[in-house]
Amino acid sequence: MNAVQRVAISTSAVALVLAIWQLSGSLHWIDPLLLPPPSEVLRTTVDLLTNGYRQVSLWQHIWISVLRASVAFVAAIVVGIPVGLAMGLSPLVSAVLEPFVQFLRPLPKIALIPLTVVWFGIDEGSKFFLIFISCFLSVIVSAAAAAAMVSKNRLRAAQTLGANRYQLFTRVVFPNALPEIFTGVRLSIGIGWTSLIAAELVAANSGLGWMVMNAGTYLRTDVVMLGILLLGGIGYLFDLALVLLQRTLVPWAGRDT
Amino acid sequence: MNQLVQLPPRVRLEGINKSFGSGKQSATVVLDDISLQLEQGELVCLLGPSGCGKSTILNLIAGFEHADSGTVLLDGKPVNKPGPERGVVFQQPTLFPWLSVLDNVTFGPRMAGVKASRYLPEAERYLKLVGLQDFQRHMPWQLSGGMRQRVALARAWLPNPEILLMDEPFGALDAQTRLMMQELLTNVWQTTGTTILFITHDVDEALLLADRVLVMSARPGRIRAEFSIPFPRSRDIEALVADSGYGVLKQKILHIVREEARKSMAGTAP
Repeated sequence: MNAVQRVAISTSAVALVLAIWQLSGSLHWIDPLLLPPPSEVLRTTVDLLTNGYRQVSLWQHIWISVLRASVAFVAAIVVGIPVGLAMGLSPLVSAVLEPFVQFLRPLPKIALIPLTVVWFGIDEGSKFFLIFISCFLSVIVSAAAAAAMVSKNRLRAAQTLGANRYQLFTRVVFPNALPEIFTGVRLSIGIGWTSLIAAELVAANSGLGWMVMNAGTYLRTDVVMLGILLLGGIGYLFDLALVLLQRTLVPWAGRDT
Repeated sequence: MNQLVQLPPRVRLEGINKSFGSGKQSATVVLDDISLQLEQGELVCLLGPSGCGKSTILNLIAGFEHADSGTVLLDGKPVNKPGPERGVVFQQPTLFPWLSVLDNVTFGPRMAGVKASRYLPEAERYLKLVGLQDFQRHMPWQLSGGMRQRVALARAWLPNPEILLMDEPFGALDAQTRLMMQELLTNVWQTTGTTILFITHDVDEALLLADRVLVMSARPGRIRAEFSIPFPRSRDIEALVADSGYGVLKQKILHIVREEARKSMAGTAP
């Protein structure tokens, strides 16, 4: 299967599902309240674009969610990569931090909401923290694994060419770890984006996560559906941006010789 | 005419013992009282069955590992860590995939902070010697296995090391490519005069390349026999196999190698 065939098949599959979904509403197979058809979601989109949802425009909801997530992502990456690399390179740092990381990482972040509110209040601080913490822990783990993965002979080759300890890190360990770090960051951003809903459960009055939760309580399933489509679509765009960045910045990824 | 003044040896190993693992039962003696020396400009092949400790000897000279007892001297000075005066070519090219061919080759001088104007002409000379002058901007993954190993060769050679250590560098290549690489190696070696320790388990390879062949015993590794290879340079594989002395010498060496390989098999049999 070549790339064109693949895209064609994927597009047809999506079109087919959309068509069945639409028919299920048009022919009243399913109550539109339970599953609003695409045509209704489209009408809601137009409505929300002009009138907003709960006094806030749809663009504003999208923007605030993307902003919250992006700030937390950047912070998690900037802090997480050096900490992870340090853990991967130093058995001491690893021994100190490992228990905390391994305890916190699988912890459902929703469980942290009450404490987060007590610590950071109900403003942006608590939302930032919840997205940051889930993304950060995942970045640390992948950066640590990536740093420890460098082959012994590659290090030896650099040593026999006269590289000192600092150069071994900057010229060998770091570029060697970059492809893996990128893959880890992609996973972490997926996890962070998932935490957005949890973050926006915390007394928000705007944002896509909040919009979905709020619309649910009023049985506005059309708005819920729109929110879900937007959350999924934006998550996909984040990942796509990272894939493009990875191809430009680390073209040697997966081509180890 | 022989040299009137005997130059001091480039590398000297004296009474080297090395075991892996600890505890009385689990310790394995890998090298047992190894002594050898490499003269300046000499190409010596170390031949032996797998697991006999030939790579360990190379690792000791490279400074990757340390002997339990005995001394490793380079130009009379003890070796204790890796350094650019001892170049290494591994069985795998171990290139840096994030660097171009030229940047891989010039890695050594760049780490030492040498100016580009000083190392670039030399780098181009070596790339030409290994036939890769038109591939400077290529990335390692765009090259074939043989070409990658030629990059590794140029990279190890550019810092002008006192000795080049080669650990079965052509073992992973197909037969035709290996033959071309062997010719290329001897050509470059004849222009540079670098001392080379070349590890192999291939008797033909040793006979084609070496001034002297050291045959190792099965574990624990000892130097079992030593042969001077009398064939004149430049050697040509076709002329070599037609030489009646070639078959005789090959048979002698092969006999010892096979004997040791059998011992090594018996030692590891369940």
